[in-house]
Amino acid sequence: MVELLQNIVEALNNSHPIIQFCTYLSLFFIAIIILLVIYLKNLRDRLRIKGRIEATYKKKYEAELIEYLYADDDKNNNLQQQQIITYFKKSSENRLKRKLIIATFLKLKNEISGETSDAIQNLYYQTGLIDSATSKLKSKKWDTVARAIRELTLFEIKEAHDEIIQLINHPKKEVRNEIQKYLVKLFRFDGLEFLNVLENPLSEWDQIQLLEILNKFNNLEVPDMNNWLQSTNNSVLSFTLKLAKIYNQYGVKDEIIALFNHADIQIRIEAINVVAHLGIYEAVAVLKEDYFTRSLDEQIAFFKMMEEMAVPDDIPFVRDHIENENFFIRISVMKILNLITVDDDNTFKINTTATDFTIDKDLTIAS
Amino acid sequence: MMLNLPEQLINFFDYIFFGFAIAAISSYIILAIISAFETVNYMKKNSFVNYTEILSSSISPSISIIAPAYNESLNIVENVRSLLSNHYVNYDVIIINDGSKDDTLEKLIEAYDLVKVDYLINNQVATKPLRKGVFKSTNPAFEKLIVVDKENGGKADALNLGLNISTNKYVACIDVDCLLLEDSLQKMIKPFLEATDHKVIAAGGVIRIANSCIIKDGKLLDINFPKNSIVRGQILEYLRAFLLGRMAWSKLNGLLVISGAFGLFDKKIALEVGGYDTKTVGEDMEIIVRMRRYMEEKKAKYKVAYIPDPLCWTEAPDNYKIFISQRNRWTRGTIETLKKHKKIGFNPKYNSLGILSYPYWFLFERLAPIIEVLGLFYFLLLIVTNNVVWDYAVLFLIVAYLFTVLFSIITIIAEELTYHQYTKRGMGKQLIKTAFTEPILNHPFILYAAIKGNFDYYFNKSIKWGEMTRKGMSSN
Amino acid sequence: MKLSKKIVLAEDNSILSKLLQFKLEKEGYQLLIATNGKEAVDLIEGNEPDMILTDIMMPFISGLEVISHVRNKLEKKTPIVVFSSAGQEEMVLNAFNLGATDFMSKPFSPNELIIRIKRLLQ
Repeated sequence: MVELLQNIVEALNNSHPIIQFCTYLSLFFIAIIILLVIYLKNLRDRLRIKGRIEATYKKKYEAELIEYLYADDDKNNNLQQQQIITYFKKSSENRLKRKLIIATFLKLKNEISGETSDAIQNLYYQTGLIDSATSKLKSKKWDTVARAIRELTLFEIKEAHDEIIQLINHPKKEVRNEIQKYLVKLFRFDGLEFLNVLENPLSEWDQIQLLEILNKFNNLEVPDMNNWLQSTNNSVLSFTLKLAKIYNQYGVKDEIIALFNHADIQIRIEAINVVAHLGIYEAVAVLKEDYFTRSLDEQIAFFKMMEEMAVPDDIPFVRDHIENENFFIRISVMKILNLITVDDDNTFKINTTATDFTIDKDLTIAS
Repeated sequence: MMLNLPEQLINFFDYIFFGFAIAAISSYIILAIISAFETVNYMKKNSFVNYTEILSSSISPSISIIAPAYNESLNIVENVRSLLSNHYVNYDVIIINDGSKDDTLEKLIEAYDLVKVDYLINNQVATKPLRKGVFKSTNPAFEKLIVVDKENGGKADALNLGLNISTNKYVACIDVDCLLLEDSLQKMIKPFLEATDHKVIAAGGVIRIANSCIIKDGKLLDINFPKNSIVRGQILEYLRAFLLGRMAWSKLNGLLVISGAFGLFDKKIALEVGGYDTKTVGEDMEIIVRMRRYMEEKKAKYKVAYIPDPLCWTEAPDNYKIFISQRNRWTRGTIETLKKHKKIGFNPKYNSLGILSYPYWFLFERLAPIIEVLGLFYFLLLIVTNNVVWDYAVLFLIVAYLFTVLFSIITIIAEELTYHQYTKRGMGKQLIKTAFTEPILNHPFILYAAIKGNFDYYFNKSIKWGEMTRKGMSSN
Repeated sequence: MKLSKKIVLAEDNSILSKLLQFKLEKEGYQLLIATNGKEAVDLIEGNEPDMILTDIMMPFISGLEVISHVRNKLEKKTPIVVFSSAGQEEMVLNAFNLGATDFMSKPFSPNELIIRIKRLLQ
């Protein structure tokens, strides 16, 4: 046996360098494959155990949380509540368990308001989970910081404000966005002050999230938007136009009209799009005047707006476009002239009262 | 007998095949490394995103799911139900019945209380005409559903009609039998909305294989590892392509393909380039190349995004006949697309698209099977002429085989570290076993199909489509 | 003794449904819990509840379909309260068109829900 091995080694040593190289490469591959298979086995075992722990403790923590909240209704149950707090406190020393506890709390807190929600927040303080989150704000890893801010946002921890605001110029976009959401969620419109100094673009994704947070509150006192509509940051303009529309800010009509001549076509179109919603009638004349110098997309937006804003005086102007090459303009014209009625779902009816027009060739009627 | 082949000739071929193998192996390694970095980055960025915030928002952008259906009577009702249960708010589902010869339409009408409506259609792309028209449900619970019945014109034609019908800003083009997870649309729309200094023109999703998985009521209940070796091989193949290949290409902004089974597009740009090409069997690859080309020519900053989360599950062919005809079609699609856009190849005007993506695709997708077969013939010639140096040849094969296995195992580890979908006991062993058997059980058929695809493309123009017979997705 | 009133609750957030179950059982109601629309429909058909609470967004059969099923297929007038999230105004409108009795917008206060249920079941 040993002799055989020796022979092989000897034969290898005497062979061509390429053969030697390939042999060693094969042996190297085999070694790595064996190591990786062992690692894979180990990895899968660990993941399976982790999965089991997660499932067990998720159930356990849900039950404990319900128990705690249930006891909350009864003033004599303080002792039991104290025990649950101690239990969560002890469990949260473990990283995985802490993650599970927080997830459990949030799963319920996100869906409810009122005293139960306050009780969960209180539990977050009592169990000391808040301390581990605030201490993570100092972490060097951006994703740890972002996650901590997110957690503090969801538990509505106002005390963290001073510490979080120091990170407002964090080099990582994700961290800045989490801070913006924190500010708006906890301080509503006051939190939007960051728009005054924002230099980076606010993506549409971020805008939707901020609007969505604001949407959850009723009866907010809406701030003055004039400044934001004069921002040099296009994304702030775009965001403020959305705000103006949602919160019916007719008062900023002059700023909106001024945006019709903004350098960015997208901003111009977005400005035209809010005209009808706010009912800014003086804007119609402004747009009509230089209609022909505007781009096609602006013209389409103009006619879409006219569907709601056209007055009898506009009819001759509108009628001139019934043969327009663009489908959307034609449809808008027909809607304004009341030739057809189009529903929200794009189904339509031809209004029989106006028979002197024929529905034109490129308009497919699916019937 | 030993024929003396000219030594220079032998050397020449040796260098070509050896050089190609080294180039292929290095490109795999480089792509895998880029993928690893990009995946870690993606996981970090998305670990704390709350998708529920965007899904519930009515100001989130509107999306149309466009799903062509051809003779899908067996599962159409279930499939549509699954599409309607997506957790995004602002979307509709457009089913294009592409001239089915069975009762697909009737089944839909009955199940969803459909009635014919007059519907405005902006004919921006020419398509085959409507047959019975446009249908909508009388039940408000199904108000998201639009069913269109048209004359048969193929998948691309049906998708084009969907583009005409949709009134939304984005379109998700999918196979109707795909199972989309509930949060798929918000995950796919994210890159479009996040971009601030460039435009995202399309996003591609991952396709996972649903064979043997238990699907009930339009939900993926249980993930199993199939017994069938063809399907097993494909699972590994898909994992390799999606986890280690496309992730890297998306980082390099060089993605050339978005799977036809699940892709999200900016509708305006898809229409500006003229919609899907009805003359190719590779319409899913072709439209991406054309959209990219269009953006390059406009000198606009753009991206094709890629979402690695397992969002779309579909059934893979489970017998050799269908498997081969599917791959045959893919091969012809690749040839047609590359030929149609040969102008961009090796053209620095098209940036990384021209000097990186196209050449890579040409070399390692288009030519690889041909070079491999030539290599086999060359080897046969050497055997016949008794010129084989056996120890070289055998060792060369062993190294190639071991590398393939190693690469597959790295893929499996990547899957475990990221999505860990195959959780059950024993599946790890089966995955590893597949890594060893796949090069033998699947690869020869892929090679055969690719060669047949080339042959059909050049000599057999009449063949257009491979049949893909459906088995029940909802049955377990 | 009068039999306690039966309520079917369809909600896919397990912990919320457990909390509501505890709170409502304490008020003397009998709770039947479904985690998706399909289970809800089965429970409604099998138990003839006095009231139905359902989330709008649920796997497979949505809350809207549950309402549609109760009102159109079973032709029952059982009070139905739907839970909606912010941004689903259109769906809430649809829910009312289909015959929903009342709605609660998430996040909501469990105590407020109890008050509404009591009033509806009087």
